[in-house]
Amino acid sequence: MVSGVEPKPKLAIFDFTDCEGCEVALVSLREKLLDLAGEIEIVNWRLAQRRADEGPYDVVLIEGTPITQEEIDTLKFLREQTKILVGLGSCATLAGIPGIIDKESRGFWYKKIYGEKYKPRGIDALPLTAYVKVNYLIHGCPVEKKEVVRVMEELLAGKAPKPRGYSVCFECKLAGNPCRLLAKKICLGPITQGGCGAICISGGSPCYGCFGLRDSAQIDNLLHTLYKFSDSPEVEQYFSMFLKKTPEYARLFKRPRVKNGKT
Amino acid sequence: MSANVKLFSLAPVGWKFPADRDGLIFTPGQFFLVGRWGVGEAPFGGASSPFEKGSIEIGVRKAGNVTAALHQLARGDEMTIRGPYGNGYPLDFFKGKDVVMVTGGCGIPPIATLIEYIIARRELFGRVYLLYGALTPDDLLFEERYKHWEKHIKVILTVDKPTPDWKGHIGLVSELTREIKIDPVNTATAMCGPGPMAAALENILRPLGIADRRIFVSEERKMSCGIGKCQHCTTGDKYVCTDGPVFYYDQVQSNWD
Amino acid sequence: MPRVISKNHIPNLLIHLKKSHDVFAPMEKEGEVVFGNVEDPTKVLLNYKTTLLPPKIYFLPPEEELFKVTNGRVQEEQLNNKFVVFGLSRKDLEAIVYLDQIMNKKPADTFYLNRRRAVTLIGVSEEEVGVPPGGDLILEKISDRYYRTLALTKKGKKIADLEFFEEKEINHKAKSHEATSKLDQILLDSELIARAIEWSRENYRQIWEHLGRVCLGCGICTYVCPLCYCTSTEDKTSFDQTVCSRCRKWDACTLPGFAKIAGGHNFRPTQAARYFNWFYHKFVRAYKEFGRAQCVACHRCQRYCPAGIDIEKVLEEIINAFQKAEPERKF
Repeated sequence: MVSGVEPKPKLAIFDFTDCEGCEVALVSLREKLLDLAGEIEIVNWRLAQRRADEGPYDVVLIEGTPITQEEIDTLKFLREQTKILVGLGSCATLAGIPGIIDKESRGFWYKKIYGEKYKPRGIDALPLTAYVKVNYLIHGCPVEKKEVVRVMEELLAGKAPKPRGYSVCFECKLAGNPCRLLAKKICLGPITQGGCGAICISGGSPCYGCFGLRDSAQIDNLLHTLYKFSDSPEVEQYFSMFLKKTPEYARLFKRPRVKNGKT
Repeated sequence: MSANVKLFSLAPVGWKFPADRDGLIFTPGQFFLVGRWGVGEAPFGGASSPFEKGSIEIGVRKAGNVTAALHQLARGDEMTIRGPYGNGYPLDFFKGKDVVMVTGGCGIPPIATLIEYIIARRELFGRVYLLYGALTPDDLLFEERYKHWEKHIKVILTVDKPTPDWKGHIGLVSELTREIKIDPVNTATAMCGPGPMAAALENILRPLGIADRRIFVSEERKMSCGIGKCQHCTTGDKYVCTDGPVFYYDQVQSNWD
Repeated sequence: MPRVISKNHIPNLLIHLKKSHDVFAPMEKEGEVVFGNVEDPTKVLLNYKTTLLPPKIYFLPPEEELFKVTNGRVQEEQLNNKFVVFGLSRKDLEAIVYLDQIMNKKPADTFYLNRRRAVTLIGVSEEEVGVPPGGDLILEKISDRYYRTLALTKKGKKIADLEFFEEKEINHKAKSHEATSKLDQILLDSELIARAIEWSRENYRQIWEHLGRVCLGCGICTYVCPLCYCTSTEDKTSFDQTVCSRCRKWDACTLPGFAKIAGGHNFRPTQAARYFNWFYHKFVRAYKEFGRAQCVACHRCQRYCPAGIDIEKVLEEIINAFQKAEPERKF
């Protein structure tokens, strides 16, 4: 327990390539954020405050994912500077939106936007876990406030937060939503970790799996159901939104490259 | 107790655990749900003498969030406890018989409490053996009690990986059959512990001629509610929390999950 | 003379009940029927197939706080309001009665029982009720305009005595019971189902292996089931550690972590094993424990399984295979 005498744990929040939406979600915690600030010291947070202390820290939250060598080095440095490293949002935890684009299409767009002379520096976006050990992943695009609060509460209580063991379907049923799969619409809810409150489906959108794959997700079984009313390219599109950098995606959709007509 | 197992003594403040008419506050083999507010609960077999009304001891192996939180506690910190739950070993069946207790590693707590019971009622039992194996001497728990136990029962210890100063047996528990002299038709056996114990059974108890129905195994599952509702601890058609945790060996064998 | 209520008076009855109770009833939401807090009594559905989630949500809520500890002071959850669940179907009432039996079995689940004590159950049936399954009051439709009251408890009687009801001789009878489903018929022989499922574990494995490749492990069948009651507990703490709570949440035995113990061993490591356990509990463990399958043929799990698993067909196939393999002995 944190008593008045002990120094408060030091929290720092950093971001790499992303839209900063998850930090906005943090800001929009409002009173909860103030409560949190009463128990920890936010010593570095570019988006919200001037104070920018150097490490070491107790907890570092990282939003976004590195796409240049300098950012990777910074990430590795931060890992050394903190006891607990937490990925904040799907860009950090899954490579998220920056992870959709791969080298070939990036080359094409570089040329088109910046012209022939541009020297590309970017590399493929990967989740933070590709570079460093991460203690916990708060998934979501953007993160769900309740989950952020849960993780911070558990960390402050000295617990190791655990991923949700249930699927999005739990919260989707509680929300009283008609099942998309039964309506023959693609949905990744059954294989996706819960905790999001099924917000997308409640709002009429499909689940693209931004909360990451649930433990022992029955992906092959879901494909079996999806292929009854859709085809592989369409399903792949859904998987490529957030899960493109997962080993499961590679197993399911990465075909060997075709060279000179031969595989 | 060892690198990752700690012994906790839970003492109520201002009251004592209630005892039944035999003076027991729980039956050896019964378990408690122990935890911390804000962290959660986990099941632990009572390990202390069941006659001790002032406190209950449990052995806690650091495995999850609850056990990790318990490991961080200091003397005097508060814990939550509810129970006792489950059936425990059938003490009346054990009376008047030779008793063989077989266990390994951290499966010892319910056996330890059974030993305390037997010692307190020593005249009611025949020859009594404890066969206890672990990976290293450090993994043998309740070391401080062995001297006391050895005065009353035969304690046979074995490890897989001995240290240079180790004087006991080396190898599997199952190789200790030679040490045991019992009357197989008048013997009761208590076991606790997972998989490897089944092998011990095949190799020790069967050769000794002990029938499956005389072998009582304490099962480990994810007991959560303790009252036969939540379904986490089911095995076949049984609830470990209310039908068990102690089962006949043939019951355990017929359970596939 | 029977006591009846005119259809037009039902909203008035609900408005009256709302003065002293929270009233929950089935209403439409995007094509689904769901139980909800009644705001506009005219929106309450009297004739519907089944709700998405069963009424167990009011006695065994998806998430409930069992204990709250504030600065070391422990407080058990308090139920402040008495409430009414209106518009329950016969099958849902039947399931509640069975769930009561399960939760009352010693050692009883006091949290469930506290909620049950706080509620008044009012059933509505569009067809003849026959032997009333349970609840406090049932409104049985006997004509286009009138519902006859079947008061089963004092609580129900008190409501039936309200001014919205009248004594009236009606020359109509309730619509006779619609043909029962295949599943209803299968369920008449709980023993046969239990024997067949038990037999199938080793002798008709192919069906479980197949279902293990179909089941999405999403847990929906257990959430929508009026007789599934798996739970887990979870503790929470406030940032400053002064308030903690112990919560109970629905769990599902078809989820991968359900039989995992600390240290990592999983007693049901495959989806096939987990799916089998769902059946095994409903039809074998339940039969041995309570003498009856834990299914009332509400058909929710059939309707809402996103993988299209049809419990009725699965049972039928297993029973057929069982009977073929082990023809009934003649004594």
